[in-house]
Amino acid sequence: MAVPTGQGEPEPMRTIRFKISRFKPGRIDPSRFETFVLAVNENMTVLDCLEQIRLVQDPTLVYRHSCHHSACGTCACIINGTERLACLTRVWALATTTVTLAPLRGFARIADLAVDMTGFYREIEAEWEVLRTAEPLAGAADSGGALRLENCIECGACVSVCPAVQAHPPFMGPAALAALHNQMQKTTAEQRPALLARAAVPHGEPMCERALACSRVCPTGVYPARHIADLRRLRLG
Amino acid sequence: MEHVLIIGGGVGGALAHDLTLRGFRVTLVEKGELLSGTTGRHHGLLHSGARYVLHDPAAARECWEENQILRRIAPQAIEPNDGLFVALDETDLSFREPFLEGCAAAGIPAREISVDEALARVPGLNPEAKAAVRVPDGSMDAFRLALPFFATARANGAEIRPYCEVTALERRGGAVTGVQVCDHRTGRSETIGADLVVNAAGPWAGRIAEMAAVQVPIQPAPGVMVSVAGRLTHMVVNRLHPAGEGDIIVPQRRLSILGTTAWLADDPDRVTAPAAHIRRLLTLGAQLLPAVRSLQPHAVWSASRPLLRTDPALDPYSISRTFDCFDHAVRDRVEGLVTLIGGKATTMRAMAEKSADLICRKTGRNIAGRTRETVLRPYRGYWRQAVP
Repeated sequence: MAVPTGQGEPEPMRTIRFKISRFKPGRIDPSRFETFVLAVNENMTVLDCLEQIRLVQDPTLVYRHSCHHSACGTCACIINGTERLACLTRVWALATTTVTLAPLRGFARIADLAVDMTGFYREIEAEWEVLRTAEPLAGAADSGGALRLENCIECGACVSVCPAVQAHPPFMGPAALAALHNQMQKTTAEQRPALLARAAVPHGEPMCERALACSRVCPTGVYPARHIADLRRLRLG
Repeated sequence: MEHVLIIGGGVGGALAHDLTLRGFRVTLVEKGELLSGTTGRHHGLLHSGARYVLHDPAAARECWEENQILRRIAPQAIEPNDGLFVALDETDLSFREPFLEGCAAAGIPAREISVDEALARVPGLNPEAKAAVRVPDGSMDAFRLALPFFATARANGAEIRPYCEVTALERRGGAVTGVQVCDHRTGRSETIGADLVVNAAGPWAGRIAEMAAVQVPIQPAPGVMVSVAGRLTHMVVNRLHPAGEGDIIVPQRRLSILGTTAWLADDPDRVTAPAAHIRRLLTLGAQLLPAVRSLQPHAVWSASRPLLRTDPALDPYSISRTFDCFDHAVRDRVEGLVTLIGGKATTMRAMAEKSADLICRKTGRNIAGRTRETVLRPYRGYWRQAVP
């Protein structure tokens, strides 16, 4: 394709205020909001805007991102009060002139919008399978042995929104329980009881308050609350 | 052992892994999140090499070799469902024979299958397809394929510092002796001394080289990708013709990713996604899988490829995807600095190995690389090793 020249019809832009929670341990501490103003076109996502702000206005802005299409799960943050992926959130669709950005809750904070994912993986074994059998394609009788990556992109949105995680920090949280339940379905019958026992500890599935917020914010349709309900049924026999 | 400081958290992760295995002390700095520049941001193809057989046989052979190694050492985040090259018209058909011969010459196990078989495997394929060749492509989660290199390097003692931006190179006489960084986590600046600095900044490599007043043949070449919601195929679907725009659809999870366009840019940060490119990708994608026509874009993004410039006037699709590394002591009489340029995610291990071989020669060390056979830690190990 030709080099984009930026010529042609001027595209419509809206002026948006980004109120971003800033934090640098020992320097901007406690955290405070800082406002950046940016002209935003119809297609720009919150992540596109963060990239622009860092490039043009403040190179010290810290946030997580990698794939820009909801595969890596790194860019989840709280956008106007809701856990979302910055890469999938179009600014115009938020229908506000001020966009407020804060880091996920329930995690140690590295700086600005970046959180430390160590806690997220505390109850998720490194070796648990990330692949699953793919669904048959439209028009095919079976999947033909195809494998695909799990829906969960480990973004942490469900942990951040979970009231039980906020109230009882030892709670394993929705992502770990969903991962555990997925793993149960991929292991042998002999290994299943041990996994179920692991989910049934006091800080496991019994601590879930059935708020269902995890399923509501999950950007990739994992529905962690369903996995937790299944684990509960299995425990109660 | 020598302290090697790597600039860049993309392919640099593979180099950190290689060098720690050989016993070097390693620090890696990256200005943003790991894998946020180019290496985590591509369409997710694990290359069989077949895409390159018509114009770049060396890259083709290299891709196939690395494809097999990655399946062994980092299998966790690869959807191993193979790929198809599909001819849609008479022009495409004219490439069938050279394509099959090129695959054979590169050692890539390509096999022509009947259009009926292709349609059985990919029911959404354009029914007008004229020929199909099956190749060992795969899909990857770009972030989770590369992260195991960092996880393993870190477990072996490498210090990995994201959000840590190089602001200057330390120089003494004609030599580079370290870097000045700003750690954006704390806002503090510091100097990190090193016996050797490796510029692995990808499309930003030119900026780092300028800090040492040397030039490197880097050509940033941005491209646009579009994902649509819906898994339209399990196999990667490629157009059987010379590499060009919109010639591939890569499935991943419940998405299909349409790739890609390419142009040459001076500034690696100017990665726009022009509307014309998005429309073109949707149009060309629908020629391969007609269901694309009925789907809305799920995400649109772009990234700068770090091409090795051999001729400034070249077509971006035909610039070699191979890589090279330069010892600036030999090239520019600047001691203490090595730059690696080019390559692609599929070949990151090989890039690292070649660079580490050069570093061994430079430092007078005779230590063989072991990354070919060393199975990497799972990607979650990057964080889990910090679990108390």
